[in-house]
Amino acid sequence: MMQRLITVLGSRWTRLVLVALVLLAIQTTLLSDLRPFGVMVQVLVLFVASAGVLYGSEVGAITGFVVGLMYDAVLTTPLGSSALVFGVVGVLAGGLPYFVREPTWWSRIVLVVLLSALGEVLFPMFQAIIGFEGWVQPRMFVVALVVALINLVIAPAMMPLTRWTLKESVTR
Amino acid sequence: MATYSSKRKRAVVLLALTTVMLITLDIRGGGATSGIRSTFGSVFRPVEGVARVVTRPVSNLWYAITRYEEVVDENQLLREKVAQQEGAAVAAAASVRLAQELLALNGLPTLAGINSVTAQVIGDSPSNFSQTVEINQGEGSGIRVGMPVLNAAGLVGKVTQVFDDRSIVMLITDPAYALSVKIVKLPEEPRPIIPGEGAESSTTSTTTTTLPAPTTSFIAGFTPGTTTIPNQVTRPTVQVPSLTVPAGNVDSVRETGVLEGRGPTRLPIVRFIDSSQRFGRVQIGSPIVSSGGSLSLAPPDIIVGTVSRINERLGTAGPVLEVTLVADLTNLSFVRILLYQPVTERNRSASSTVAP
Repeated sequence: MMQRLITVLGSRWTRLVLVALVLLAIQTTLLSDLRPFGVMVQVLVLFVASAGVLYGSEVGAITGFVVGLMYDAVLTTPLGSSALVFGVVGVLAGGLPYFVREPTWWSRIVLVVLLSALGEVLFPMFQAIIGFEGWVQPRMFVVALVVALINLVIAPAMMPLTRWTLKESVTR
Repeated sequence: MATYSSKRKRAVVLLALTTVMLITLDIRGGGATSGIRSTFGSVFRPVEGVARVVTRPVSNLWYAITRYEEVVDENQLLREKVAQQEGAAVAAAASVRLAQELLALNGLPTLAGINSVTAQVIGDSPSNFSQTVEINQGEGSGIRVGMPVLNAAGLVGKVTQVFDDRSIVMLITDPAYALSVKIVKLPEEPRPIIPGEGAESSTTSTTTTTLPAPTTSFIAGFTPGTTTIPNQVTRPTVQVPSLTVPAGNVDSVRETGVLEGRGPTRLPIVRFIDSSQRFGRVQIGSPIVSSGGSLSLAPPDIIVGTVSRINERLGTAGPVLEVTLVADLTNLSFVRILLYQPVTERNRSASSTVAP
């Protein structure tokens, strides 16, 4: 019983929830205050894209679902909308091996940054699809551009964090 | 090249279906989704509290670097504005009091009869695509979903989520926000008051106004029938601005429409419910106030903003008005929540009120 509990606590999914909780807290406090060019930096979508790039579509999708669901729980948008968008980002990020045979560190970073920007565009578009119109406007491209530029700086630090969080457990 | 196994496909499809199901449940207003939010909130709030304490110095440093000049300029501007407004505020207070007295005499609802709770804004929206703020008062203070939120200038938004000791307020600029409003007609040709000219324009130049048939008042603090303008008006240091009243009788006809938010970078607009304009052309600068009514989100006559642009439309559709809000939503510190829950929001209250 105790061994099983330790196994569960030491699993990658437990780490995922804990790390996502910390990232979400940073998102809702520090990053909510710092708004360069009036745009909020998005580390959650960066984390999801990194998970997809490093561990493939399946892990990317699950990470996107978990992180997105947690994000939805603190937003006023419908529960599941961020989870779906983040899940799509995670799946797309996992498609890197289809296009690049041996991805380098910089090609991973470029893809992660592009996908985080894509996530910022997909979110208002998906909102519009489910009936919450009004956010599809030229500003979303400005948001995506600023998020991409800032995530370009953050991504090299995010990749090791994601790698550590989602690495296979030693006990397994 | 990596292969995409059927097992992985199934996992991804399952997750997608789960999110679609959650979205459907949430939009339909099920209690299950608010339960998820509630449970997560109880876990997340302490973590967020710690993060707020730890990251506060960094935020303050950021503000110090990026907004110092702006704050200094703003401070100077505000000092000038305070000096200018000091006199006007005293006269305006007297006018408001008079208006409340008249409303009470006619049995009409006024804001004076609605209790309120003051709260501090403690957080902004954690997303680029929602316009909300977090305040430090919740269900424990009597706040419920749907209650209107104001600051010193005017309407700010409405409460959309309530926790035990905090609430989420959706701002007017959020595209999901809509409110029935009325546009108050501006006087055609205002003219200055000439003392002793006649009874029709005698509301602001004298200290006592006699009103017809005083009966009872529902507003504490004054006696119907006599309005006394505060003595502060006569302070020598205050420059009292020249007040104007409309030529002839005040025309009370108002145009009703729906105010809709359009995000942080675009001004809210007002669309008319009825395309026939009963009071002629809308003018730039006309005040916009909440219309009230049994189905409205806010009580009547809360100031929202002024008309800043009129976009004419072809056909029978009335013009679309762009509105400059009186409340500065980018700089909210303290807000007031009117303890007035609209009928339309009472059903949502049960599903959106969340435990701590």
